[in-house]
Amino acid sequence: MLQLKKNGFVKCFDWRTLVIFIPGLIFVSMFVFYPMIKMIVMSFFDWKIGYQQISPFVGLGNYKEVLNDPIAKTAIVNTFAYVVVTVPLQMALGLLIAVLINGITKHSVFFRISYYLPVITSWVIVALLFRYIFSNYGLLNYFITDKLHIVTEPIGWLSTRWSALFVAMILGIWKGIGWNMIIFLAALQAVSKDQYEAADMDGANRVQKFFYITIPGIKGTIVFALIMLTIGAFNTYTPISVLTGGNPYHQTEVVLTWMYFQTFDALNMGYSAALSVIIALIILIITIVMFKLTRFSGDTK
Amino acid sequence: MKTKSFIIILLVLLGIASLTGCTTKTTEVITIEFWHNYSAGDGQVEVLENLIAEFEDANPNVKVHQVFMDWSALKNSVVLGASTSVLPDVLRGDIAFVPQFQSLNILLPLSDYEDYDAQAAKVLGQPNSSNLMGSDYYGIAANTNTKILFYNSTLLAAAGLNAPTTLDEVWSTATTLTKDSVIGYVEPWTGIWNVGPYIWSEGGDVLSPDNTTAQGYINSSIVVDVIQNLADLYAAGVVAGPSMDPGAVGDTDGWSAGTYAMELDGPWRGASNTAAGIEFDAIPLPKGSAGSISVLGGENFMQFSASDEEHQKAAWEFVKFMTDTHAQVEMAKVGQMPVNLEALTNDEAIAAMPLLPVFAEALKTAKPRPVIPEWSEVENIIATKVAEAITGAKPVQTALDEAATEIDALLGS
Repeated sequence: MLQLKKNGFVKCFDWRTLVIFIPGLIFVSMFVFYPMIKMIVMSFFDWKIGYQQISPFVGLGNYKEVLNDPIAKTAIVNTFAYVVVTVPLQMALGLLIAVLINGITKHSVFFRISYYLPVITSWVIVALLFRYIFSNYGLLNYFITDKLHIVTEPIGWLSTRWSALFVAMILGIWKGIGWNMIIFLAALQAVSKDQYEAADMDGANRVQKFFYITIPGIKGTIVFALIMLTIGAFNTYTPISVLTGGNPYHQTEVVLTWMYFQTFDALNMGYSAALSVIIALIILIITIVMFKLTRFSGDTK
Repeated sequence: MKTKSFIIILLVLLGIASLTGCTTKTTEVITIEFWHNYSAGDGQVEVLENLIAEFEDANPNVKVHQVFMDWSALKNSVVLGASTSVLPDVLRGDIAFVPQFQSLNILLPLSDYEDYDAQAAKVLGQPNSSNLMGSDYYGIAANTNTKILFYNSTLLAAAGLNAPTTLDEVWSTATTLTKDSVIGYVEPWTGIWNVGPYIWSEGGDVLSPDNTTAQGYINSSIVVDVIQNLADLYAAGVVAGPSMDPGAVGDTDGWSAGTYAMELDGPWRGASNTAAGIEFDAIPLPKGSAGSISVLGGENFMQFSASDEEHQKAAWEFVKFMTDTHAQVEMAKVGQMPVNLEALTNDEAIAAMPLLPVFAEALKTAKPRPVIPEWSEVENIIATKVAEAITGAKPVQTALDEAATEIDALLGS
């Protein structure tokens, strides 16, 4: 019979549990494991996708090509910049708004909906809107030149590498705040009121309560959000694709837009596979490091 | 109990497998799959449907299933279908697809058909040469086009300017027109489709005549001068385009807003300007020091070796029907420039396409892009390097020297 160990694992193997697993296992194997393994294999070949074409084995050739490619380097640096800027900022702003909403009793539903709206709108639509706002003859330039007369010439927000990435980052942050707010709001409501009351009796002020009760109380959620957002930010595609398309001369490419270009425009399947593996490894290492770091700080408490 | 449930599940799985995997049906009517990018907005798909109905009446045992996809979807679907052979029987797509698809080993050499030569003799030779790789033709011309110089008549008249008569005048006219919210010239991309005509018209070239090297061609002094001129114009705000500056307005939006005054573009520009209510006119690219040499565009019909023989034959019959006079005239009425020689002189076709004589004039000297399997990669290198040169990220000579080195590495010379 089924016996659960302390840690929740089934103690003795039962054929009937296999029956429950099989359908899911088949699908996961077909659509997750198989493509993953196939892609890793592809990364060691000059993979030809044509009809009955032979793909020569090139060893680490694709990896060398990726690591020596200045545009791949640009794309990776751009992606890191996007991660480093958007993840902490949207978490901080999301948490701030969650704390504010948590503190009010009236109209909290209205504010929750307002901040959540960007999350459920389409990436493509908002990216197009951002392009209309930030293009040379866009809304923003219209206001600062024709209305407010701050500058005489329109500013090319999308024209150069860092300013275009800056626009993409604003878009990412604006769109991500709502998700963070909902996640943190749920976590905040699970923090025990007793602790705050106890702190009140000890004479703790708001800031102290925030750092010594709220933050430790929602630490699990912070780690969860951090890891999810980091993975998500590494996989950003739509904002760049719509705002700049990687232009000018591939200066604004992120990893995924460059991968798409290499796959579908240049048909370099092996190159793209190698780039995917490299990025997957980077994300894996970062995730492990994050887990370790947060666990250590938890243990010392 | 354990074994019983196991057997039941196995049987169910086998049942599902047999249901999905083993259904075959044999019918006498064959359906050929036809992928294309005829534009629905201009009524071309409607004309296509009528033509298909006529073809099916004449060939009762063949049905044509047409599927519209836009340019990039068409390309991506074929690329994705290549390894699994999920491909149509016949495709009508960009002439630039031929070398790329042939490099995937999926195209059928149409010149193997006995009557290919007879059919090819009915169409313009220059556009059809875009199907020739080695000694085989991997398609047949479907429609042709080239780029001519469109200009906003209202803006030119307001500035008191006449249409330019030389390539140098194009640039000086663009410079004069550029003021306030008007930008003289738009160039949406920096590939050879875009800068090729300026290079060729000044006597330069991209690759050696045998397509084996770019050294001494793409980085020759002629090409450097042409690109340097564009870089100067770009710096002065006279030339703009979204691939050089992602903040720039797209060409269609810019034309309809009256921002852009001139563009070297294909027949679709006429259609979109008419739709936007813009007063415009067009002339063949004014002559440079080596003449007026525009770039050859257009579409070809291609067939795939993955289809069985029956489908291949039916598809070839359909292709012949589509390249004959009647179908070509019908398509001309909705904006597709014919390749069929009889259709080109057909009164109805000319009446439907007011710019046809201008295009016909430009077509006489239009040049095809090199038909080599690596072309798409070569053009990507050029587009990147020319954009770096025009935007001033690198000195023109440096950028083009790098382009030559990269292209030669790709071509293995």
